[in-house]
Amino acid sequence: MTRRALLVAAGAGPLLRRALAFAEPRSISFPLAGIAGSITPADAFFIREHFAEPDLVLKSWRLRVEGRVARTVDWSLADLIEAPTRKIEAVLECAGNGPGGAAVSNAVWGGVPLLHLLREAGAAPEAVSVLLEAADTGRLTSDAPDLPYCQIVPIVKCMQAESLVAFKMNDRFLPRKNGFPARALFPGWYAMDSVKWLKRIIVLGPNDEPADFLASGMHKFYNRIVEVPAGGRTTIRLSEVLVKSAIAWPPDQSKLPAARHTIRGFAWTGAGSIRDVEISADGGRTWERAQFESPSKPFAWTRWKYSWDAAPGSWALISRATDDGGRQQPLTRDPARQDGYEWNHCATVRCEVR
Amino acid sequence: MKVAIAALCLAFGLRADDCPPSKLTPQETLARFQELDRAAQASFDAGRYVAAAQQYRDAACVAPNSARALYGLGIAEAAAGNFAEARKALETAYSILPKNAMPLAMLVRVNVAMKDVEQVKAALRTAAQRFPDDAELHSGLARFLAESQMLDLALAESLRLEETGTSDPASAIELAALENTVGAYEDAIRTAAPVEKQASLAAEVRASAAGVAALSLEGAGRREEAIQRLQTAIRLSPSQENSYLALAFLYQKAQRFKEAAALLTEARKRFPSSLDLLLPLGNNLVWAEHHEAGIQVLNELLTKSPGVTEAYIRLAEAYRNMGRSELEVQALRRLARVQPDYPMLHTLIARAMTTMETPDHSAVMAELALAEKSAPNDSEIFYLRGKVYASMGRLPEAVTSLKRAIELSPMDRSAYYQLGLIYGKLEQPELARQTLARMRLLQESSKP
Repeated sequence: MTRRALLVAAGAGPLLRRALAFAEPRSISFPLAGIAGSITPADAFFIREHFAEPDLVLKSWRLRVEGRVARTVDWSLADLIEAPTRKIEAVLECAGNGPGGAAVSNAVWGGVPLLHLLREAGAAPEAVSVLLEAADTGRLTSDAPDLPYCQIVPIVKCMQAESLVAFKMNDRFLPRKNGFPARALFPGWYAMDSVKWLKRIIVLGPNDEPADFLASGMHKFYNRIVEVPAGGRTTIRLSEVLVKSAIAWPPDQSKLPAARHTIRGFAWTGAGSIRDVEISADGGRTWERAQFESPSKPFAWTRWKYSWDAAPGSWALISRATDDGGRQQPLTRDPARQDGYEWNHCATVRCEVR
Repeated sequence: MKVAIAALCLAFGLRADDCPPSKLTPQETLARFQELDRAAQASFDAGRYVAAAQQYRDAACVAPNSARALYGLGIAEAAAGNFAEARKALETAYSILPKNAMPLAMLVRVNVAMKDVEQVKAALRTAAQRFPDDAELHSGLARFLAESQMLDLALAESLRLEETGTSDPASAIELAALENTVGAYEDAIRTAAPVEKQASLAAEVRASAAGVAALSLEGAGRREEAIQRLQTAIRLSPSQENSYLALAFLYQKAQRFKEAAALLTEARKRFPSSLDLLLPLGNNLVWAEHHEAGIQVLNELLTKSPGVTEAYIRLAEAYRNMGRSELEVQALRRLARVQPDYPMLHTLIARAMTTMETPDHSAVMAELALAEKSAPNDSEIFYLRGKVYASMGRLPEAVTSLKRAIELSPMDRSAYYQLGLIYGKLEQPELARQTLARMRLLQESSKP
């Protein structure tokens, strides 16, 4: 809507956003250009589902903490609400988000530190990891049995202060599509571990076999597979988000009038915070520094802008982020990668200026 | 509750500090305690809370382990606004009598008054652990927390009440309303449905349940069902104004303005003195293109309640739709008198003035100068100024203004169009061609 249209419609009622009930798993992203500040509104938060959204009843929903614990504890939503909570701004990115893709969002999360739940249950000292099981179920592959979505996260990450069982997003309860009543949240890690519609937390010891995790075939997904020069491949479970940036505006293949335009975007990293974002309008030959529009802080993304004097011609815009650990977005994808994740290389946005 | 109070009176066992040593016999002690207790109660009832606190404190010295004295002290201190002291006394009272929920319930209130959310939660956790089946406690806490706008915690206590298995229809409606507030729409629909269907309940109660279910159905994107539920609510209890307002709002969201206007007109007959109906009625009449009727209602509202800013905007819209630019300007100027800092107001006035049959250019420019003061980077101001300069024949100034508009909003094609036309008049065909080409470029880009 242009400003002029807004003037004409001044005072008109708020636009309706219609929530639809979905019976099938969804994969929805919203253009990053639509985000006004640095927080993604709940209705513009990306959705990636493996299975259909479960129909949970709030009154009977419980989160069970069991396994290598002194006592099994069932948490109701009332228990979570009344427990000590903390807030954290954190970005979640789908591990398969493409270069410059929109399967990434940033919100302020509220919930109970996972550490608190593990302590209340008396997690055993020999615990090495935690299996997070969701209420949504299905077959990951055609030959796999019907099982709940689940992920395994090392206990060390679970014990970090930022790891939460979140039930709030942007100061509101989680929308159903984002995991209501509660989801795991591991800031700095790819989103598949931040399990939605959380139902069970099973503490695992060094020799415990996560049967459902293996039977469902989940262990075959979300791995970094790299071809090694000597032959063969190395496989490492994905965890920390790689440094990355995306141009929110202008969109790829846009046609712009010759004028001074503001290029806008976001940058994020799983470790530390963003130090620099550079912009190239000539396909990576020359670089200029972008300005931060929101402060750079751990786990959250940083909004940046760059004032571009666009002269007539064809242009290839690229943004490149560097974090405070010196990690920089590569210009191209590592050719040795054999998987479909961690697409953090720089994306090119092509523009035609007349 | 009577048992609980008796238990408070009888409990002894804690030594209070800061009390002078007592030389009274046990009989004298009891008599003195009863005397102080009566005096404290009388002071409290008379609203002399500081005196009541002192008397309860003295009573606690006479009988240092009296939970009753400490509970009374806690309440009196809270009433006097000494929340830290109140908290101390109530915590001590609870530690003496851990099987009594009253000190804990009061402690929640004191912690809420102190805005100490973590302590509120701590007291609620204790209440949940020690009194999981105390429906009265959890119901009272839920209601109090909802009144205090601590809706998350109110929801938690409503859920705890449900767990006791003794929830009544009123509590179920409250839970449904809270579930709706937190976005648990399906849960709210489930919670409200049995209340709505229970024929033995009062029609008002069933109508309230239908109303809450309607809100949740709307939240869940099931508007037609929401509309049906509100129609049911009105049928069950036609004297609840909120049901009409809610239904009209849903019609409005569905752009069924005529139905909204008809419903609100009907509601007005039932609630002739209601002010709440006037704005939505005026709005919907205007949107239903019943401009004259809408203007009448909006003017009636503004006579009774001149601070309703949206009514001026709607009046202006009605006049604009009728092509009555002078009256549109008048409505906006009335708004300026009520709320001079209304966002973009001077731009709106200037814009309305430009559509008048014979616009007063200097007056438009004056409005735009005011608009620029509050929003110096608003491209709309420079666009309008460019257009006004153009109609005054001051083409170089028009070019400067429109170029500034483009600088501020390079993706807004209107300014390119105006600028292109002006370049044409200035006999600069190349610039005109280039500028209009950019306008067309943007026009093409905006096509889906």
